[in-house]
Amino acid sequence: MFGQITFDNLEYFVQGYLTTILLSVGAMAAAFVIGSVAASVRVWGGRVPKSLAGFYVEFFRNTPLLIQLFFFAVVLAPNNLGITADPFVVALFGLSIYTGAFATEAIRSGILAIDPGQVEAARSLGLSQLATIRLVVLPQALRTVVPPLGNVASALIRNSSVASAIGTRELLFMGLLVANRTFSLEPLIGVLLGYWSLTLTLAFVLGRLERRLAFAR
Amino acid sequence: MTAVTRARSAAAGLGGYLGLAALIAIVLVLVATGVLSERRWGPFGDVRVWRFILEGLLVTLQIGAVALIASLILAVPLALARLALPGPLRWIVVTWIELVRATPVLALILFLTLYMPRDLVSSLWAATIALTIYTSAVLAEILRAGILSIPRGEVDAARSLGLSYAKTMRLVVLPQAFSRMMPALVSQLITLVKDTSLVSIAAVSELAGYARSIHSFYGNPAETYFVIACIYFAINYTLSRVARRLELRRAKEPPVALPPELETAALQSPP
Repeated sequence: MFGQITFDNLEYFVQGYLTTILLSVGAMAAAFVIGSVAASVRVWGGRVPKSLAGFYVEFFRNTPLLIQLFFFAVVLAPNNLGITADPFVVALFGLSIYTGAFATEAIRSGILAIDPGQVEAARSLGLSQLATIRLVVLPQALRTVVPPLGNVASALIRNSSVASAIGTRELLFMGLLVANRTFSLEPLIGVLLGYWSLTLTLAFVLGRLERRLAFAR
Repeated sequence: MTAVTRARSAAAGLGGYLGLAALIAIVLVLVATGVLSERRWGPFGDVRVWRFILEGLLVTLQIGAVALIASLILAVPLALARLALPGPLRWIVVTWIELVRATPVLALILFLTLYMPRDLVSSLWAATIALTIYTSAVLAEILRAGILSIPRGEVDAARSLGLSYAKTMRLVVLPQAFSRMMPALVSQLITLVKDTSLVSIAAVSELAGYARSIHSFYGNPAETYFVIACIYFAINYTLSRVARRLELRRAKEPPVALPPELETAALQSPP
């Protein structure tokens, strides 16, 4: 019966599914932090930090994630920097940096969309530059930034499948494992259903959130 | 735009190339001073290694070009079907586009390379078809946004001048939609070039696959992947500059409200 193999190996799929979720959530959180900092630097930083942040965005956005993950897997390995050999940690690190570059651009466009008068008003009320960014600009920027950040998050869930190439035991990896073991391709359909459940749910939630934010403005 | 601001924005656009040049210069200095291993970097001073890399690059560009052209051809009927077909038929197309866009490209590539009968379709073609399926769905959405951004009055005007629906599309709507989708199209091309690297996992050797051969021969994986990353960067950064230039040219045209898929496309190439 169709679906039998998937159900017989359900624990693999559940484990992979949870790993994919953990990887995506962790990398998105880190990417958000990286993005907020790098976007702030790109907008308000001095000349050198600004161009460094710009180069970070351009370099990581324009190179394949796969190559980046291979590179980090080698560089972080015990015989080089000796930080970690755990493919999950390497994938989390690589995905965070890659996604952080896209998050930076999304957040930066949100910052640039804010009326400069807001900053001037906050500054003339006596707020420091940091307080202005933290209390006035970022809270407003985050609202305009929800749709593009949502797209970044959706891409992240799909990109997390690339981590299987360095041996992270996430959904696609587990699906291929079961497929190899059972000489069947049915597990891959289970994998697709798993990713669809995640990305389509996210799209649904984001759609509702966008509508709410649009009213609140 | 004054000459000074124009020069400044041109210099800002070159930032990526300057950064790349600085990165390469740092590596060269560090190798010359002995901080970085000569044994591991040495192979990249060899012409034969570069000839080998170029061979892999050609495969990458071929896969990318074939997938791009095929996707463009497929995207037109997909977009028109989503816009014009009656109810149930349209829902089939909508479901197809949305499901494909929600699928990880790597899963799609592995799915097709494993499913296609090997003796009929080679892994190379199966992987190219997978990239085409994905890219055509994304391009269809971009094109649909482009078509929707054409004022309704133009269609009405063309129809009332006696043009058929097909002619209206071909002569009035699609040419304008294509020119509007150009920046977003080039951005998607960057994603496509990056995604071709995933093909190497399905045992098809292109640039990323050739990288594996190089480092397993010379024993220098980190260095090889660094060099390969720089090559991808040079290609994609150039494409992103093209996208930005197209967008600037578009910005000079009379302002028209663009749907979100087409807005600031070059600024936010899809991940």
